[in-house]
Amino acid sequence: MQQQQQQGQSGGSEMEVTWEDQQNINKFGRLNNRLHELEDEIKIAKESNDNLEDAGNELILTDEDVVRFQIGEVFAHVPKDEVETRIEQMKEATSQNLEKLEEEKESIIAQMAELKKILYGKFKDSINLEEE
Amino acid sequence: MASSSSSTETGVVAERRGIPGAQFVEDVQTYLNQSGLDVNSALAFLQESNDVPVPVLLDRLQQYKVVEMKLLAQQRDLQAKIPDIEKCLDVVATLQAKKGTGEALITDFEVSEGIYSRARIEDTDSVCLWLGANVMLEYSCEEATALLQKNLDNAKASLEVLVADLQFLRDQVTITQVTIARVYNWDVHQRRVRQAAGVAIES
Repeated sequence: MQQQQQQGQSGGSEMEVTWEDQQNINKFGRLNNRLHELEDEIKIAKESNDNLEDAGNELILTDEDVVRFQIGEVFAHVPKDEVETRIEQMKEATSQNLEKLEEEKESIIAQMAELKKILYGKFKDSINLEEE
Repeated sequence: MASSSSSTETGVVAERRGIPGAQFVEDVQTYLNQSGLDVNSALAFLQESNDVPVPVLLDRLQQYKVVEMKLLAQQRDLQAKIPDIEKCLDVVATLQAKKGTGEALITDFEVSEGIYSRARIEDTDSVCLWLGANVMLEYSCEEATALLQKNLDNAKASLEVLVADLQFLRDQVTITQVTIARVYNWDVHQRRVRQAAGVAIES
Protein backbone atom coordinates (compact mmCIF):
# COMPACT_ATOMS: atom_id res chain seq x y z
CA MET A 1 0.00 0.00 0.00
CA GLN A 2 1.50 3.28 -0.99
CA GLN A 3 2.32 5.70 1.75
CA GLN A 4 -0.15 8.51 1.32
CA GLN A 5 1.82 10.89 3.41
CA GLN A 6 5.51 11.19 3.97
CA GLN A 7 7.62 11.98 0.95
CA GLY A 8 10.74 14.06 0.61
CA GLN A 9 10.14 16.55 -2.12
CA SER A 10 12.82 17.07 -4.70
CA GLY A 11 13.84 20.49 -3.45
CA GLY A 12 17.37 19.49 -4.27
CA SER A 13 18.57 20.58 -0.87
CA GLU A 14 20.91 18.52 1.21
CA MET A 15 18.58 17.45 3.99
CA GLU A 16 20.18 15.59 6.85
CA VAL A 17 17.97 12.86 8.25
CA THR A 18 19.07 11.46 11.56
CA TRP A 19 18.11 8.09 12.99
CA GLU A 20 15.90 9.90 15.46
CA ASP A 21 14.07 11.64 12.63
CA GLN A 22 13.61 8.32 10.88
CA GLN A 23 12.19 6.82 14.03
CA ASN A 24 9.77 9.72 14.37
CA ILE A 25 8.65 9.27 10.79
CA ASN A 26 8.20 5.54 11.37
CA LYS A 27 6.21 6.17 14.51
CA PHE A 28 3.98 8.63 12.69
CA GLY A 29 3.32 6.07 9.97
CA ARG A 30 2.47 3.40 12.51
CA LEU A 31 0.14 5.71 14.42
CA ASN A 32 -1.59 6.71 11.24
CA ASN A 33 -2.21 3.08 10.27
CA ARG A 34 -3.52 2.32 13.74
CA LEU A 35 -5.81 5.35 13.48
CA HIS A 36 -7.43 4.03 10.30
CA GLU A 37 -7.88 0.59 11.84
CA LEU A 38 -9.43 2.18 14.92
CA GLU A 39 -11.87 4.19 12.83
CA ASP A 40 -13.07 0.99 11.17
CA GLU A 41 -13.36 -0.80 14.50
CA ILE A 42 -15.29 2.10 16.00
CA LYS A 43 -17.71 2.04 13.08
CA ILE A 44 -18.33 -1.68 13.58
CA ALA A 45 -18.78 -1.26 17.33
CA LYS A 46 -21.29 1.56 16.79
CA GLU A 47 -23.28 -0.56 14.33
CA SER A 48 -23.27 -3.45 16.77
CA ASN A 49 -24.53 -1.15 19.51
CA ASP A 50 -27.34 0.10 17.30
CA ASN A 51 -28.35 -3.44 16.40
CA LEU A 52 -28.50 -4.42 20.05
CA GLU A 53 -30.64 -1.35 20.77
CA ASP A 54 -33.05 -2.31 18.01
CA ALA A 55 -33.14 -5.89 19.23
CA GLY A 56 -33.94 -4.71 22.74
CA ASN A 57 -36.76 -2.55 21.46
CA GLU A 58 -38.21 -5.33 19.33
CA LEU A 59 -38.11 -7.56 22.36
CA ILE A 60 -40.23 -5.17 24.37
CA LEU A 61 -42.79 -4.99 21.58
CA THR A 62 -43.13 -8.74 21.07
CA ASP A 63 -45.65 -10.69 23.09
CA GLU A 64 -44.20 -14.12 22.63
CA ASP A 65 -42.66 -15.83 25.60
CA VAL A 66 -40.03 -17.69 23.74
CA VAL A 67 -37.59 -15.91 21.51
CA ARG A 68 -35.25 -17.48 19.03
CA PHE A 69 -31.87 -16.22 20.11
CA GLN A 70 -28.87 -16.79 17.89
CA ILE A 71 -26.09 -18.72 19.58
CA GLY A 72 -23.31 -19.63 17.21
CA GLU A 73 -24.93 -20.80 14.00
CA VAL A 74 -28.27 -21.92 15.45
CA PHE A 75 -31.26 -20.16 16.92
CA ALA A 76 -32.05 -21.50 20.35
CA HIS A 77 -35.48 -21.11 21.90
CA VAL A 78 -34.82 -18.99 24.91
CA PRO A 79 -37.31 -17.50 27.35
CA LYS A 80 -37.86 -13.79 26.89
CA ASP A 81 -36.34 -12.79 30.22
CA GLU A 82 -33.12 -14.59 29.59
CA VAL A 83 -32.87 -12.94 26.19
CA GLU A 84 -33.36 -9.57 27.79
CA THR A 85 -30.55 -10.25 30.24
CA ARG A 86 -28.25 -11.45 27.50
CA ILE A 87 -28.90 -8.43 25.35
CA GLU A 88 -28.21 -6.14 28.30
CA GLN A 89 -24.89 -7.88 28.90
CA MET A 90 -23.93 -7.62 25.26
CA LYS A 91 -24.83 -3.93 25.23
CA GLU A 92 -22.65 -3.34 28.30
CA ALA A 93 -19.71 -5.11 26.73
CA THR A 94 -20.07 -3.28 23.42
CA SER A 95 -20.32 0.18 24.94
CA GLN A 96 -17.31 -0.46 27.16
CA ASN A 97 -15.38 -1.60 24.10
CA LEU A 98 -16.51 1.48 22.20
CA GLU A 99 -15.35 3.75 25.01
CA LYS A 100 -11.95 2.09 25.07
CA LEU A 101 -11.60 2.51 21.30
CA GLU A 102 -12.57 6.16 21.40
CA GLU A 103 -10.01 6.80 24.15
CA GLU A 104 -7.27 5.12 22.15
CA LYS A 105 -8.25 7.22 19.15
CA GLU A 106 -7.97 10.47 21.15
CA SER A 107 -4.55 9.48 22.43
CA ILE A 108 -3.29 8.63 18.95
CA ILE A 109 -4.52 11.91 17.48
CA ALA A 110 -2.70 13.79 20.24
CA GLN A 111 0.54 11.88 19.64
CA MET A 112 0.31 12.47 15.92
CA ALA A 113 -0.15 16.22 16.45
CA GLU A 114 3.01 16.23 18.60
CA LEU A 115 5.02 14.38 15.96
CA LYS A 116 3.72 16.68 13.23
CA LYS A 117 5.02 19.68 15.13
CA ILE A 118 8.45 18.11 15.57
CA LEU A 119 8.78 16.89 11.98
CA TYR A 120 7.47 20.03 10.33
CA GLY A 121 9.79 21.99 12.60
CA LYS A 122 12.80 20.13 11.28
CA PHE A 123 11.85 19.49 7.66
CA LYS A 124 9.40 22.29 6.90
CA ASP A 125 8.47 21.86 3.25
CA SER A 126 10.48 18.77 2.57
CA ILE A 127 7.94 16.55 4.23
CA ASN A 128 4.24 16.09 3.73
CA LEU A 129 2.26 14.61 6.61
CA GLU A 130 -1.29 15.26 5.50
CA GLU A 131 -3.93 12.83 4.35
CA GLU A 132 -4.55 13.11 0.66
CA MET B 1 28.82 20.02 1.37
CA ALA B 2 31.40 18.16 3.32
CA SER B 3 29.89 15.03 4.78
CA SER B 4 30.30 15.67 8.44
CA SER B 5 28.51 12.66 9.86
CA SER B 6 30.37 9.43 10.40
CA SER B 7 29.86 6.52 8.14
CA THR B 8 28.41 4.12 10.68
CA GLU B 9 24.89 2.94 9.95
CA THR B 10 22.87 2.97 13.14
CA GLY B 11 21.98 -0.36 14.77
CA VAL B 12 18.91 -1.70 13.02
CA VAL B 13 17.32 -5.11 13.43
CA ALA B 14 18.92 -7.06 10.61
CA GLU B 15 15.83 -9.05 9.84
CA ARG B 16 12.73 -10.33 11.51
CA ARG B 17 11.23 -13.71 10.72
CA GLY B 18 12.45 -13.63 7.19
CA ILE B 19 11.77 -9.95 6.51
CA PRO B 20 15.06 -8.20 5.67
CA GLY B 21 15.66 -5.06 7.66
CA ALA B 22 16.11 -1.81 5.81
CA GLN B 23 19.50 -0.26 6.39
CA PHE B 24 19.23 3.25 7.74
CA VAL B 25 21.51 5.62 5.85
CA GLU B 26 23.22 8.32 7.87
CA ASP B 27 24.87 9.97 4.92
CA VAL B 28 24.03 9.48 1.29
CA GLN B 29 27.53 10.02 -0.06
CA THR B 30 28.99 7.40 2.23
CA TYR B 31 26.20 4.97 1.48
CA LEU B 32 26.85 5.23 -2.24
CA ASN B 33 30.60 4.89 -1.77
CA GLN B 34 30.26 1.88 0.47
CA SER B 35 27.85 0.00 -1.70
CA GLY B 36 29.79 0.96 -4.79
CA LEU B 37 26.64 1.83 -6.66
CA ASP B 38 25.98 4.89 -8.69
CA VAL B 39 22.76 6.76 -8.14
CA ASN B 40 20.66 4.99 -10.71
CA SER B 41 21.64 1.53 -9.61
CA ALA B 42 20.98 2.43 -6.00
CA LEU B 43 17.51 3.69 -6.91
CA ALA B 44 16.86 0.57 -8.92
CA PHE B 45 17.92 -1.66 -6.09
CA LEU B 46 15.71 0.15 -3.62
CA GLN B 47 12.74 0.93 -5.73
CA GLU B 48 12.05 -1.11 -8.76
CA SER B 49 13.85 -2.03 -11.83
CA ASN B 50 12.56 -2.33 -15.35
CA ASP B 51 15.41 -4.27 -16.80
CA VAL B 52 16.21 -6.94 -14.29
CA PRO B 53 16.36 -10.11 -16.36
CA VAL B 54 16.01 -12.56 -13.50
CA PRO B 55 12.45 -12.63 -12.14
CA VAL B 56 13.72 -13.81 -8.74
CA LEU B 57 15.51 -10.50 -8.14
CA LEU B 58 12.57 -8.37 -7.03
CA ASP B 59 13.79 -5.14 -5.63
CA ARG B 60 13.52 -4.01 -2.08
CA LEU B 61 10.28 -2.09 -2.10
CA GLN B 62 8.54 -4.68 -4.23
CA GLN B 63 9.83 -7.45 -2.00
CA TYR B 64 8.34 -5.70 0.97
CA LYS B 65 5.03 -5.30 -0.84
CA VAL B 66 4.88 -9.02 -1.60
CA VAL B 67 5.52 -9.92 2.00
CA GLU B 68 2.96 -7.37 3.14
CA MET B 69 0.25 -8.90 0.93
CA LYS B 70 1.00 -12.31 2.41
CA LEU B 71 0.88 -11.07 5.99
CA LEU B 72 -2.34 -9.14 5.40
CA ALA B 73 -3.99 -12.28 3.99
CA GLN B 74 -2.91 -14.27 7.04
CA GLN B 75 -4.24 -11.55 9.29
CA ARG B 76 -7.62 -11.61 7.56
CA ASP B 77 -7.84 -15.37 8.00
CA LEU B 78 -7.08 -15.17 11.69
CA GLN B 79 -9.51 -12.33 12.19
CA ALA B 80 -12.24 -14.47 10.66
CA LYS B 81 -11.31 -17.56 12.67
CA ILE B 82 -11.40 -15.92 16.08
CA PRO B 83 -15.12 -15.00 16.15
CA ASP B 84 -15.90 -18.53 14.90
CA ILE B 85 -14.10 -20.11 17.83
CA GLU B 86 -15.82 -17.73 20.21
CA LYS B 87 -19.21 -18.72 18.81
CA CYS B 88 -18.39 -22.40 19.35
CA LEU B 89 -17.39 -21.71 22.92
CA ASP B 90 -20.69 -19.96 23.40
CA VAL B 91 -22.68 -22.96 22.18
CA VAL B 92 -20.79 -25.41 24.37
CA ALA B 93 -21.28 -23.14 27.37
CA THR B 94 -25.02 -22.96 26.65
CA LEU B 95 -25.24 -26.76 26.42
CA GLN B 96 -23.41 -27.10 29.69
CA ALA B 97 -25.72 -24.62 31.36
CA LYS B 98 -28.78 -26.49 30.13
CA LYS B 99 -27.39 -29.75 31.47
CA GLY B 100 -28.20 -28.77 35.01
CA THR B 101 -31.84 -27.91 34.36
CA GLY B 102 -32.89 -31.19 32.77
CA GLU B 103 -34.90 -29.57 30.02
CA ALA B 104 -34.10 -30.10 26.41
CA LEU B 105 -32.82 -27.28 24.26
CA ILE B 106 -34.96 -26.54 21.26
CA THR B 107 -33.18 -24.83 18.41
CA ASP B 108 -33.83 -23.85 14.84
CA PHE B 109 -30.96 -24.58 12.57
CA GLU B 110 -30.20 -24.14 8.92
CA VAL B 111 -30.61 -27.26 6.81
CA SER B 112 -29.87 -25.53 3.59
CA GLU B 113 -29.88 -21.95 2.46
CA GLY B 114 -33.13 -20.37 3.58
CA ILE B 115 -34.48 -23.67 4.97
CA TYR B 116 -34.52 -24.17 8.69
CA SER B 117 -35.56 -27.07 10.84
CA ARG B 118 -36.26 -27.55 14.51
CA ALA B 119 -34.04 -29.74 16.66
CA ARG B 120 -34.47 -30.95 20.18
CA ILE B 121 -31.22 -31.40 22.01
CA GLU B 122 -31.51 -33.56 25.10
CA ASP B 123 -29.17 -33.45 28.02
CA THR B 124 -25.82 -34.47 26.83
CA ASP B 125 -22.38 -34.90 28.26
CA SER B 126 -20.47 -34.81 25.06
CA VAL B 127 -20.15 -32.73 21.93
CA CYS B 128 -18.49 -33.40 18.63
CA LEU B 129 -15.90 -30.97 17.38
CA TRP B 130 -14.94 -30.51 13.76
CA LEU B 131 -11.17 -30.58 13.65
CA GLY B 132 -10.77 -29.95 9.97
CA ALA B 133 -9.56 -32.31 7.23
CA ASN B 134 -12.86 -34.21 7.33
CA VAL B 135 -12.23 -35.27 10.91
CA MET B 136 -14.73 -34.90 13.71
CA LEU B 137 -14.10 -36.08 17.25
CA GLU B 138 -16.39 -36.50 20.22
CA TYR B 139 -15.39 -34.76 23.41
CA SER B 140 -16.91 -34.31 26.82
CA CYS B 141 -18.19 -30.79 27.39
CA GLU B 142 -15.28 -29.90 29.65
CA GLU B 143 -12.67 -31.23 27.26
CA ALA B 144 -14.36 -29.42 24.39
CA THR B 145 -14.32 -26.15 26.28
CA ALA B 146 -10.65 -26.63 27.14
CA LEU B 147 -9.73 -27.44 23.54
CA LEU B 148 -11.67 -24.53 22.10
CA GLN B 149 -10.20 -22.15 24.65
CA LYS B 150 -6.70 -23.33 23.78
CA ASN B 151 -7.37 -22.79 20.08
CA LEU B 152 -8.72 -19.34 20.79
CA ASP B 153 -5.65 -18.39 22.84
CA ASN B 154 -3.30 -19.68 20.15
CA ALA B 155 -5.15 -17.77 17.45
CA LYS B 156 -5.04 -14.56 19.46
CA ALA B 157 -1.31 -14.99 20.17
CA SER B 158 -0.57 -15.63 16.48
CA LEU B 159 -2.54 -12.54 15.58
CA GLU B 160 -0.46 -10.45 17.96
CA VAL B 161 2.79 -11.71 16.48
CA LEU B 162 1.43 -11.06 13.00
CA VAL B 163 0.48 -7.50 13.86
CA ALA B 164 3.98 -6.87 15.25
CA ASP B 165 5.47 -8.30 12.04
CA LEU B 166 3.31 -5.99 9.96
CA GLN B 167 4.42 -2.99 12.00
CA PHE B 168 8.06 -3.94 11.55
CA LEU B 169 7.47 -4.37 7.84
CA ARG B 170 5.80 -0.99 7.47
CA ASP B 171 8.70 0.65 9.28
CA GLN B 172 11.14 -0.92 6.84
CA VAL B 173 9.02 0.29 3.94
CA THR B 174 9.03 3.82 5.34
CA ILE B 175 12.79 3.76 5.85
CA THR B 176 13.30 2.53 2.30
CA GLN B 177 11.02 5.20 0.84
CA VAL B 178 12.83 7.94 2.76
CA THR B 179 16.17 6.57 1.59
CA ILE B 180 14.95 6.60 -2.01
CA ALA B 181 13.86 10.21 -1.66
CA ARG B 182 17.18 11.19 -0.11
CA VAL B 183 19.29 9.47 -2.74
CA TYR B 184 17.22 11.17 -5.41
CA ASN B 185 17.51 14.59 -3.75
CA TRP B 186 21.22 14.12 -3.29
CA ASP B 187 21.56 13.37 -6.96
CA VAL B 188 19.58 16.47 -7.95
CA HIS B 189 21.73 18.51 -5.61
CA GLN B 190 24.90 17.05 -7.12
CA ARG B 191 23.76 17.89 -10.64
CA ARG B 192 23.00 21.47 -9.63
CA VAL B 193 26.41 21.84 -8.03
CA ARG B 194 28.09 20.41 -11.09
CA GLN B 195 26.09 22.65 -13.37
CA ALA B 196 26.96 25.70 -11.34
CA ALA B 197 30.63 24.65 -11.36
CA GLY B 198 30.45 24.10 -15.11
CA VAL B 199 28.96 27.54 -15.69
CA ALA B 200 31.59 29.11 -13.45
CA ILE B 201 34.42 27.51 -15.46
CA GLU B 202 32.95 28.59 -18.76
CA SER B 203 32.37 32.19 -17.84
